Amino acid sequence: MGSPHPFLVSALLAFLAGAVSGLVTWRRPAAARVVAFAFAVLGSLLLLVAAFRALAHPSSAISSLPLVTLFPCTVRLDPLSAWFTLTLALLALAVSVYSFGYLRPMERTRNLGALGFFYNALLLGLALVFTAANAFFFLSAWEVMAVSAFCLVVFEHEKAETRSAAIVYIIMSHAGTVMMLAAFLLLAASAGSVDFAAFHLLASKLPPAEQGAVFLLFFAGFGVKAGIVPLHVWLPDAHPVAPSNVSALMSGIVIKCGIYGMARVFFDFFGPPPLWTGTLVLAVGVVTALVGVLYALQEHDLKRLLAYHSIENIGIIVMGFGAALMFRALGHPNLAAIAIVGALYHTLNHAIFKGLLFLAAGSVVQSVRTRNMEEMGGLVRRMPGTALFFLIGAIAISGLPPLNGFVSEWLTYQALLAGFGTTHSLTRLMFPIAGALLALTAALAAACFVKAFGIPFLALPRSEAAATAQEAEPAMRYAMALLAAACFVLGLGATWILPVFDSITQQALGVPISSSLLAHGIALQAGTPQSGTVSPAGIALVFLALAGTAVYLVNRRLRHARVATGPAWDCGLPGLTSDNEYTATAFSKPLRLIFSAFYRPRREIRPEYEVSPYYPSVIRFESGIEATFEKRLYDPLKDWVFGLSRRMRAIQAGSIHAYLAYIFVTLILLLLFGVRQ
Amino acid sequence: MIAVFFTAVVQLLLLLTVAPLVSGLIKTLKARLQVRRGPGILQPYHDLHKLFRKGMVLPDTASWIFTATPYVVFSATAIAGLMIPMISAKAPLGLFGGVLAVVYLLGLGRFFLALAGLDTGSSFGGLGSSREMTIAALAEPAMMLAVFTVAIGANSTSLSEIAKVATSTTWHFLAPAQMLAFAALFLVLIAETGRIPVDNPATHLELTMIHEAMILEYSGPYLGLLEWGASIKQLLLMTLLINAFLPFGLHSKWSLGGLLISLVYLLLKLLVLAASIVLVETTNAKMRFFRVPDLLAMAFTLAALGLVSTFLF
Amino acid sequence: MHTLQDPQFGDKMVTLMAALVLVLQIAMVAQRWIVTNIRLFAAQSFLLAFIAFTIAYFNHAPHIYAAAVATLLAKGILVPIVLERLVARIEIRQEIEPILNMPLSIVISGGLTLVGYVLAEPFYRPDEAPGASTLGHNALAVAISLFLIGFFMMINRRKALTQVLALLCLENGLFLAAISLTYGMPLIVELGVLFDVLVAVMVLGILVYRIRESFESMDVSRMRRLRG
Repeated sequence: MGSPHPFLVSALLAFLAGAVSGLVTWRRPAAARVVAFAFAVLGSLLLLVAAFRALAHPSSAISSLPLVTLFPCTVRLDPLSAWFTLTLALLALAVSVYSFGYLRPMERTRNLGALGFFYNALLLGLALVFTAANAFFFLSAWEVMAVSAFCLVVFEHEKAETRSAAIVYIIMSHAGTVMMLAAFLLLAASAGSVDFAAFHLLASKLPPAEQGAVFLLFFAGFGVKAGIVPLHVWLPDAHPVAPSNVSALMSGIVIKCGIYGMARVFFDFFGPPPLWTGTLVLAVGVVTALVGVLYALQEHDLKRLLAYHSIENIGIIVMGFGAALMFRALGHPNLAAIAIVGALYHTLNHAIFKGLLFLAAGSVVQSVRTRNMEEMGGLVRRMPGTALFFLIGAIAISGLPPLNGFVSEWLTYQALLAGFGTTHSLTRLMFPIAGALLALTAALAAACFVKAFGIPFLALPRSEAAATAQEAEPAMRYAMALLAAACFVLGLGATWILPVFDSITQQALGVPISSSLLAHGIALQAGTPQSGTVSPAGIALVFLALAGTAVYLVNRRLRHARVATGPAWDCGLPGLTSDNEYTATAFSKPLRLIFSAFYRPRREIRPEYEVSPYYPSVIRFESGIEATFEKRLYDPLKDWVFGLSRRMRAIQAGSIHAYLAYIFVTLILLLLFGVRQ
Repeated sequence: MIAVFFTAVVQLLLLLTVAPLVSGLIKTLKARLQVRRGPGILQPYHDLHKLFRKGMVLPDTASWIFTATPYVVFSATAIAGLMIPMISAKAPLGLFGGVLAVVYLLGLGRFFLALAGLDTGSSFGGLGSSREMTIAALAEPAMMLAVFTVAIGANSTSLSEIAKVATSTTWHFLAPAQMLAFAALFLVLIAETGRIPVDNPATHLELTMIHEAMILEYSGPYLGLLEWGASIKQLLLMTLLINAFLPFGLHSKWSLGGLLISLVYLLLKLLVLAASIVLVETTNAKMRFFRVPDLLAMAFTLAALGLVSTFLF
Repeated sequence: MHTLQDPQFGDKMVTLMAALVLVLQIAMVAQRWIVTNIRLFAAQSFLLAFIAFTIAYFNHAPHIYAAAVATLLAKGILVPIVLERLVARIEIRQEIEPILNMPLSIVISGGLTLVGYVLAEPFYRPDEAPGASTLGHNALAVAISLFLIGFFMMINRRKALTQVLALLCLENGLFLAAISLTYGMPLIVELGVLFDVLVAVMVLGILVYRIRESFESMDVSRMRRLRG
């Protein structure tokens, strides 16, 4: 088979053509919807082929893009890039198909040409971020990605909420870029080149202080994009306000740019790192996962809830990276490989199920015209397909067997467990504690998705809009079905997919791992057969057999018995209405009280009286939780920046002469500085 | 392959038949301790028999989730039961999953049960679901940490390996790590099986129930499946506790004589464990719901202590 | 070798009982009822006495027997009886209200145990043969943990009586440290400490009664009013 690069280049050209077609059809939304997204589908398919080819025949050949000659536009599809490209291609394919249906009602009201332009630009930027082979090109692609994502977030710009979210996003994103830039400059100064190939293992050869600085700058810089705590505050604001197809891309793949950057830096630029790096990353991962899921639990805006779960899952991925870094520092490349496989597999899995969940949520929001769960309910009857797909996504994201989330969480658990034996210092306690907190995170996530599925989809409709909701269009359902099927394939077929990781771990750590992860062909094992095995396919098989038998036997019984449908018994209370139902707020109340030290909940009850104080005519109830990170970290920071700006105002004289003088003085100082060097 | 199939069928039959017996045993012992006559030890069998012969009423507010849940709960619990060593140190489906898979399969059952609670639209169902998921979320880290302590000792998450290591070490259960983890898992067992002081399996008082609230709308064969599943889960967790910590008398080969001896030992140990559960249930009052985190924090700390104490050994 | 002479068996027994002592200590942190707290303390003292017996038996140190008996009588029986009577007499509310909430207190105690193990680590010498000389090195870690958790309980509780209880736990920690590290201080020191504790309980008992008389409460935070 040939090189994957022709396919990659044609995919890039397809995205470019899609973007151009968006410009051409600027005033014709109907045409824009079909043409621009057809190009996106085409590009995704080509990208998929390129990724498959690159994974089947790993190489790290570099080729130049034939487009621009101003600066070196080199791309490379080494195994790590190919893995993220595969993730992008799969998700982009489903989301682009979904967009055909999703955007149809918007034809009359929205400029779909602009949407098509930025959408394709985003895909182009993402593909280039994952494949760029030098720092300069990488940063340019990064900016294309960040700016087009900004434009997509702000697409529904008539809402104030959208505008403020987008501004926070772009400010934080650029702060991150600055940190990345600084780190790249440090590396480039030492390598004398901006090629990624020159950075390979370079960071570990730097002096310790510089090494630490490079590490921290990269971690924070990519961390902003990935949404690690406490750099996550932009994420739950920005993801939900975008159109839902864009939200799926944002949560599914755009934040994975941060993960890709971390993987590239941690396992390509760095050799065995100092131990503290791993400890830090693991701790940040644990905190991120917990904070993400705790906020998600108290969120009743369906899309914001999903956005918080992205933070949680990023935490789980980062935990895997942290463990891998620690294992590398302690000299256990095999364990590091298991941790990396867990983290990267979770990266793909999260893209799939989070994409699925956002698409399903998008269908619901489009149909019910609100993001507030408390106004939904009973949708399983009006939108059976969407409900089924959301349920599959919910099971997968909760890490329940036999779907894909379970496999990657299982690998992460196994890596953490094995970590206890790698050292005799106190550090080793971190592994099982991190494992226990991962268990807490997963259990809380399951609780949260019982709410996220149960409240909108089950029981009785809570509003007129929910009672008359319409099922999503076929194109949207096909897209969701594709991702739901992927959840099954990646879960049940994990044993057939894991060998793909051989080339990635070979590249990063020099050990192919899959042979020690497979047992008897149908089960996964953690290193050795004695260390524990699991087989999602086997579980599914036995499950089907048992459940099938039970269904058969029970139905044979029921043939002779009377099965009636009647009003719910409800302990004898008659007249069940949607007012009796448990709400999302009520569902999450026990956890709100138990973790009140974290949430700092407030609640206010204001009765209004007309006649007697014993018979209030209206009772207003308000409850909420404190936005701790915004209030305690970012508000002081913002105040400080504003204070600084106010003081800077003194030098703003407003006179052109003064400004010229400033420039003159700066010039002289710079010249002096340059001469002295 | 055929051997695995055979052993799986044997263990499945054992799970299905012994589980109601253990429930009945606990009920009878409890009644005796409270100087009541109580139901006979075989009462759960009669109950199941009756439930499966009855017709049923499905609430008109419920969807297909309500219908699917009994099957999912029953099957997921039964598979988990096949992954633990019961009368042989080698679990029939040990290859398909170890202790992590067991915990997550129980999680799958719970997930659907909680959805079914919400599905009917009654506030009691929602109340039960909300509480169940809360308690499960808090019990999970304690359970995992205790399990990790054992798994680290055996260097494996495979329950067969854990049982094997536990049988081969002398004075194994005397190690403080084992004992603390045992205590932690015992507390988790009480929370997970809905026993006093966490939940009262006998109550139908609306505001205090948890598990009963979720299955309030079920009747007939579906209720039978759920009740059966719940008692299998109880048996499974008790067996897990027994064979991971006190595996003496457990044979590692599948031979008829060895199996019978293991079975006798298992039943004896189940009797003792059931008696201690009864003792806890009788001597404690049911806790307020918001006191349950105290208990689970205790379990978590015990498990953490167990882990710390392996630190020196 | 017979089991009862096997020092490894003795080691396991001591370790096991020490762990139980620790569990009881954390149970005391988690327990809300004062009377149950006192009974847990009694159980803990009983266990301590048994640890002392075991160490005395395997080390053939007769003077530890005396210390064990003294502990059993004084802290296992006498002090609990005195305290229970006191509780009955002053008719205080039976529930302890710690300053930090319960789960947090429990988790903090767990953390303090970790500190105890870290502090005890230098005393652990795995290269020495497992025999009488390393008997109960785990017990030292437990002892330090008891001491720390006892201290934490004193900080975390409001009422004078519960603070007395915490002090007693702290003292149990000291006792355990003494017997596990040096196989018993000289008997006279041991007796002196024990006598001290008894007197302290008596004095505090009277004081608690007085505080209650004059402040209508046992909440020591109200004693802030005493400053000039």
